[in-house]
Amino acid sequence: MLRHLHRTVNLFDTAKSALFLCILAACRGQSGGADQVRGLIYYETYDPRSLDPALSTDVPTGEMVTLLFDGLTQFDPDGKLLPGLADRWTADRKGQRYVFHLRPGVTFHDGRPLVAADVKRSFLRVLNPQTHGGRVWPLLPIAGASDFADGRARDVRGIEVLGDTAVAFTLTEPLAIFPTFLAMPVASVAPSPVPADFGQRPVGTGPWRFVAWEHDDYLRFVRNPSYWSGASLSESLTVRIIPEALTRAAEFLAGRISVVEVPFGETKKWEQEHPDWLKRKPALRPIYVPLNNRRGPLRDPRVRQAINHAVNVPEILRTVWNGRGALAAGSIPPTLGGSDPSRRPYSYDTTEARRLLRAAGYPNGFSLQLWRSGTNVEMGRVAQAIQAQLAALGIQVEIVSRDASSMREAVRKGDTDMAITDWWADYPDADNFLYPLFHSASVGPGGNYAFYSDRVTDSLIMVARRTVDQAAREALYARIDQRVFDAAPWLYLWFAVDLWAEHPSVDGWDIPVIFNGQRWTKARVAARR
Amino acid sequence: MLQLVAKRLLATIPTLFGVLVVAFLLLNVVPGDPVAEMVGERADSATIARLRGELHLDEPIPVQFGHYLWGVVRGDLGRSYITQRPVLGDLAERFPKTLQLAAAAMLLAVTCGIALGVLAAIRPGGMIDRFSMLIAYVGVSFPVYWVGLLLILLFAVALRWLPPSGYGGLAFLVLPALTLGSRSIAFLARMTRGAMLDILPSDFVRTARAKGLGERRVIGRHALRNALLPIITVLGLDVGNYLTGSILTETIFSWPGVGRYVLLAIQKRDLPAVQGSILFLSVIFVLVNLLTDVLYAKADPRVAYD
Repeated sequence: MLRHLHRTVNLFDTAKSALFLCILAACRGQSGGADQVRGLIYYETYDPRSLDPALSTDVPTGEMVTLLFDGLTQFDPDGKLLPGLADRWTADRKGQRYVFHLRPGVTFHDGRPLVAADVKRSFLRVLNPQTHGGRVWPLLPIAGASDFADGRARDVRGIEVLGDTAVAFTLTEPLAIFPTFLAMPVASVAPSPVPADFGQRPVGTGPWRFVAWEHDDYLRFVRNPSYWSGASLSESLTVRIIPEALTRAAEFLAGRISVVEVPFGETKKWEQEHPDWLKRKPALRPIYVPLNNRRGPLRDPRVRQAINHAVNVPEILRTVWNGRGALAAGSIPPTLGGSDPSRRPYSYDTTEARRLLRAAGYPNGFSLQLWRSGTNVEMGRVAQAIQAQLAALGIQVEIVSRDASSMREAVRKGDTDMAITDWWADYPDADNFLYPLFHSASVGPGGNYAFYSDRVTDSLIMVARRTVDQAAREALYARIDQRVFDAAPWLYLWFAVDLWAEHPSVDGWDIPVIFNGQRWTKARVAARR
Repeated sequence: MLQLVAKRLLATIPTLFGVLVVAFLLLNVVPGDPVAEMVGERADSATIARLRGELHLDEPIPVQFGHYLWGVVRGDLGRSYITQRPVLGDLAERFPKTLQLAAAAMLLAVTCGIALGVLAAIRPGGMIDRFSMLIAYVGVSFPVYWVGLLLILLFAVALRWLPPSGYGGLAFLVLPALTLGSRSIAFLARMTRGAMLDILPSDFVRTARAKGLGERRVIGRHALRNALLPIITVLGLDVGNYLTGSILTETIFSWPGVGRYVLLAIQKRDLPAVQGSILFLSVIFVLVNLLTDVLYAKADPRVAYD
């Protein structure tokens, strides 16, 4: 009996102390972040496909490839195009033939010197059907690349190796932005022949050398001491795989990762409590709703304009999206040449919206489906807000929630009326927001989810691509953007503004506007402040 | 016993074949395209068509299934479309980590769950009983992801006793094991309490007490052993579930196990990876069930199998 009582008391004590600890924890609050991060630690949300540049079709893979490899050109964190393995390049007057001159004295991590033939072989590897890479389009402008990729030719005639130090590209037609294509991860230069198990144990020329990869857990890199633009400031870099946003926040608060994208739900709290940690940067990423221009009432531009007038976008941005965006008046991000700062977004004007609907013959509204990806909670909330506001005009919106893959398939097939989505830039140029999104050749899988098709727009985009003069090109982009904006193929929402927190002990890191614009060479863990 | 095991093993072959057929058909019916996931956000139709051809996705479904089955028979689960690595290798790399987490969760569940249940049953209505049943209610009612995040906030962010997530030494194991095991602890506590309450008033327990055995022996040797059958049932089911990957726990704690592998494979429509995982996990499940049956017979000699 006594023994039972004794046990009871003990357990009761334990419970009491547990409760006490909880209260103590509540009093201390989230006090993390003051400690020093042990080494530079970044994260990805899922395991990269591979570390082989030829397979870099997603963001984690592209970011890791950027640490290990170089292209002929590269982006800085602000998206500016810089020389990479090529220290200079020349183009003919038409912009159809480019000669890239390799930087002298560059070696791969295994000591092999870089030669121009490596560039050609790397590109052939990417284009080779046996590679199963899936992302060949940045190289397809090269003459003969399509034939090679389809197995109709044994060589790419548009790539010429000029000795060991230069390589020339002849394109099928002039393309002013070709050098930006070569800064994409898939155009990285690999040694040839590539070592065995290259995707798991890569060898590049990049600022970081590969050390270890534990799948779904972490990747480890050590700095390349003989990197051509100077060794990284930090000795090592670890990249952890952390799928859950709130866990990432906890890891950051516990001082175990160097930087973190601020979770949506935490925006206000962190802004108030830790303004000194936060970094913001306008991203090259429009959030938008493609309105399928080939379906039902959405075929009529007046209906699409009415939808743009009927949704109170500024309010949704402020409340649902925590203000992490800049209103969109076009599809070209405001930081890129070709965007027109004087253009106003569609005003929130339900009277005008009603007038347009009446004029289009839909005074009593109609029904539409709005697709959303079930995994993106924030976009789901935006979809609900849009649904509620369109209901006020008699447009009945049914929200269809599917997993990302199912939704993508439906959108690409043109089976959706509307779908809330975003567009991540591949290269920081207005072309990346026009050709894939609005050219009729890009309809469906190419990125034109609105199925917008306009011959004048098509030809203007192609003229701009061929225009070498930057100012003239940007003027053309502004014109195209205006033309498309007037036709309202989208419900224009906003351009995302990235919000990240940097650990107080870390410096030299900046949010990249393009996913492969951060090579971590200038970042380091500073002495304890 | 050996005969029983052999018979059961033979019987699993049609089961596994059924699993293969159903999984294959289901994956071909669900929307979503593996090639679309391979090529990323921007692709041309020609590239997509070419990849479909290269992966034999344009062949009739029975032919595709035939190819796959032939591979499985030879012990080859194929290569992931996305990573191009062999599926079996990927699973073999992750399974020990899932096993480790499952074992730790089970250990916690067995020790805490049974102890709480027994203690509660000794004095029904008493302090310990109320306390352990409160824990049981909480454990059963709270969703795993919520418990996991709370544990991270308390022990990793506020107290800094344990790392929030990741894979490593014992410290990394505590929170995910506790999270994963919480439901089992709760179930086992309730189960054990119920079974013990049924058994404690039995004649043989009274006899044991009457012949002067200590309370510890009465409870441990006589009562608990007889209460084990339902406990083994629950344990067997839970072990099966834990070993086949606990997607939520592994995701919250960045634990590099099988559950996350399967989830990503499904999200990416990585058909060989999903099919391979389903087959692999079915084998595990069948084996655990077999083991449970064997344990039944061990715990209670009256259980006989034909």
